Amino acid sequence: MSNWQRILSVARRELRIIRNRPLYFMGSVGVIAFCAVFFLTFLDKGLPDNIPIGIVDNDRSSTSRAFVQQLDATQLGKVVRHESFSSAREDMTSGKIAAVCVIPEGMNEDIQAFKQPRFTFYVNGLYFVSGALAWKDLLTMVNLTNGAVQREILRAKGYNDREIMGLIRPIDIDVHQIGNATTNYSYYLCGILLPGVLEMIVILVLIYSLGAELKFGTSRHLMETSGHSIVSAIEGKLLVWTIVFSAIGFVIIMLLYHWLHFPISGSIFNMFIAMFLLVLSSEAIAIFIIELIPIPRLALSVGALYSVLGFSLSGFTLPLEAMPPYIQGLAVIFPLRHYYLFYVQEVIFGAGFAGWWKEVIYLLLFLFVPLAGLKRLKAAYIHQNFPKD
Amino acid sequence: MAKERFIKTWLGDWWNILCHELKQILSDGGVLLIFFVAGLAYPLLYNVVYLNGVLSDTPIAVVDDADCPDSRRFIREIDATREVEVAARCVNMDEAKRLMRDRKVNGIVYFPRDFGERLVRNETATFSLYADMSSFLYYKNAMLATNFVMLHEIGQIQMERYTLAGMTEQEASQVIKPVGYDDNNPFNRAFNYSFFLISAILMIIIQQTMFYGMSLLVGTQRERNHSFASLPDKLAGHGMMRVVLGRGGAYWLLYLGIGMYIAFIVPAIFGIPQRGQFGDVLAMLLFFITDCVFFSMTWSTLITRRESVFLLFLAISPICLFLTGCSWPTVAFPKFWKVFSYIFPSTFGVQGYINLSSAGGDIAAASSQMNVMVLQTIIYFGTACGCVFAENWVIRHKEEIREKKEELVRKAGIDKAEDKRIIAGE
Repeated sequence: MSNWQRILSVARRELRIIRNRPLYFMGSVGVIAFCAVFFLTFLDKGLPDNIPIGIVDNDRSSTSRAFVQQLDATQLGKVVRHESFSSAREDMTSGKIAAVCVIPEGMNEDIQAFKQPRFTFYVNGLYFVSGALAWKDLLTMVNLTNGAVQREILRAKGYNDREIMGLIRPIDIDVHQIGNATTNYSYYLCGILLPGVLEMIVILVLIYSLGAELKFGTSRHLMETSGHSIVSAIEGKLLVWTIVFSAIGFVIIMLLYHWLHFPISGSIFNMFIAMFLLVLSSEAIAIFIIELIPIPRLALSVGALYSVLGFSLSGFTLPLEAMPPYIQGLAVIFPLRHYYLFYVQEVIFGAGFAGWWKEVIYLLLFLFVPLAGLKRLKAAYIHQNFPKD
Repeated sequence: MAKERFIKTWLGDWWNILCHELKQILSDGGVLLIFFVAGLAYPLLYNVVYLNGVLSDTPIAVVDDADCPDSRRFIREIDATREVEVAARCVNMDEAKRLMRDRKVNGIVYFPRDFGERLVRNETATFSLYADMSSFLYYKNAMLATNFVMLHEIGQIQMERYTLAGMTEQEASQVIKPVGYDDNNPFNRAFNYSFFLISAILMIIIQQTMFYGMSLLVGTQRERNHSFASLPDKLAGHGMMRVVLGRGGAYWLLYLGIGMYIAFIVPAIFGIPQRGQFGDVLAMLLFFITDCVFFSMTWSTLITRRESVFLLFLAISPICLFLTGCSWPTVAFPKFWKVFSYIFPSTFGVQGYINLSSAGGDIAAASSQMNVMVLQTIIYFGTACGCVFAENWVIRHKEEIREKKEELVRKAGIDKAEDKRIIAGE
């Protein structure tokens, strides 16, 4: 039998195994389908709205009522009225409202008399997104209130509206959000979370596939099928799994950037390349882990601990430069980190090959890692001298 | 007499099951790895990763086409903020764009040619901010810094213009700022990323490691043709409550230690704020751990083989993190996922922990979460008993189930013998 035939017979054998154990299907297609449905529908809105903001109105004047009504009318905020500060504070501490705004007594009169009354805000920064958005909403409303009062005064003094604009707002800012014009959390998070889940699945399923041979004592037969070549054995298995995982990866890319129209300034085909490389390098990591620890249960536990860390160390939420230096170095060993850097160049900036060629090299370097332990895995497959589960 | 004897055997059984389970846990390398390496080391690791949760001095590039005193002052002030650092002054946008693509800078501030002129003419002068959205924290920093400086500058310029228009300084200040504000962020002053995330991750580690460890053991016992539900032979009695409470007691004891380490010692090591009363947080933690024990017992029943828990349920961990509402607010959850989040103890455990320990509320601040956890505990206790009952039923009807299975396989046209020959060479 030629080498190709042997590889094909290993692949045929792998297909039989997959058919025999529903776990493989559930663990790969089932899990990613659930996660895709979850993240895409969960963050569907893009940006939260109607965040509850507690108001303690000690003034009860027409001005304060107008302020409260306008705050309620903003898309971000929803007003929850409180009678006293202590009850509002209790609600904030228990996370029911994101912020508290106290309107001081006599605010209306103080404004008329130019006594410069002061609002007091309290924001709960422990609920991150809602706290930050509530704070932003309150600041905007106060600045608008200031503008409105100024405009009344200036109109009374006889300025025309053009002059008033120049006086009230001498400087204005024009913000361009590169790669995500609407501050959409779904675009931001799903673009990395879903590939991250795929990386996790690739590592776990492949470790399980390779480890199950040891666990069920079928590894000698595998070696017979592959003509006693560990390389052919792994190639045969990889043939099946690379097709499965790449197909899943391509569906994710199509789903995000084609069917759901996530913004992408580069080309979707380049993202296929990124996805394919992510799958290959994750497979390399999986093979390396089982080579290092040819005990299925330990290898899987290690694979689980490794792939969960990948999310944090890709640096897409808290950027890597904010982490301690020794952690920054560690991030290099996670394929997801390189996928993220590739993604930034292609999806955010559309820089093309010139932007991401380095990441391609890093991802390809992963493919050499499993070579180190092939012998060890072969010995384990033949002697079956490690604990079985 | 009969009653006394019953209580005696009950307690004896319970104690034996508890000890048996503890032995099982301690003699299993995989479970020990999950409980003690993941349970003890992961909280430390995550703390190290998020140690300085504040991103400072985000590098930005400046393109100053206006080149006037106002724009130069503006740039100096931006550079002086905590959030942003002017890393490059570029002659044109192309150069700045290139720096952004090379990720040397994460934002560009651009002053158009007419910026200074417009200020002199008392019109609105506009400048532009181009923000890198590859991480929202870059955007947040660039936005905050430019907005603070802009508001400050507006105040200065208005002061000049109003005094030029003939107002006294006092009058001008009153017109510029008719209403002031004081803003407080008492629990997380600098919007520190680690304060909110770490609290959530810590509680999720408790729930998830317990679930994975317990599932590993359930899977192992099933593989060895034991069952998690059957009693050791020497026991005289049979009872679901004994099994559930006995096994649960073992995990509960272990997690009393691990949980207190995670909830009290880890934050203390890394200086995460602990504003709560020790007793309050401990009470909440006990509710949470009890809830987690029965939650894990119920769901681990689904695991038939030792490894399958990771393949099937590892991806639940990041999902649990989102369902706690500490990042994406609970009010913005779609209905379905809101109901779905009620499945997990972590949804309420995290909120309770944040409210008590990080925000320093009294026990009332977590009362609604604790009520739900009690309800969950009761329900999961019932389902855990139900699972033991079902498992025993399955054991008694093993033969029938096997026949049914084979019939299904025949109907589906799968030749098991052929498969076996190809897979294992038998």
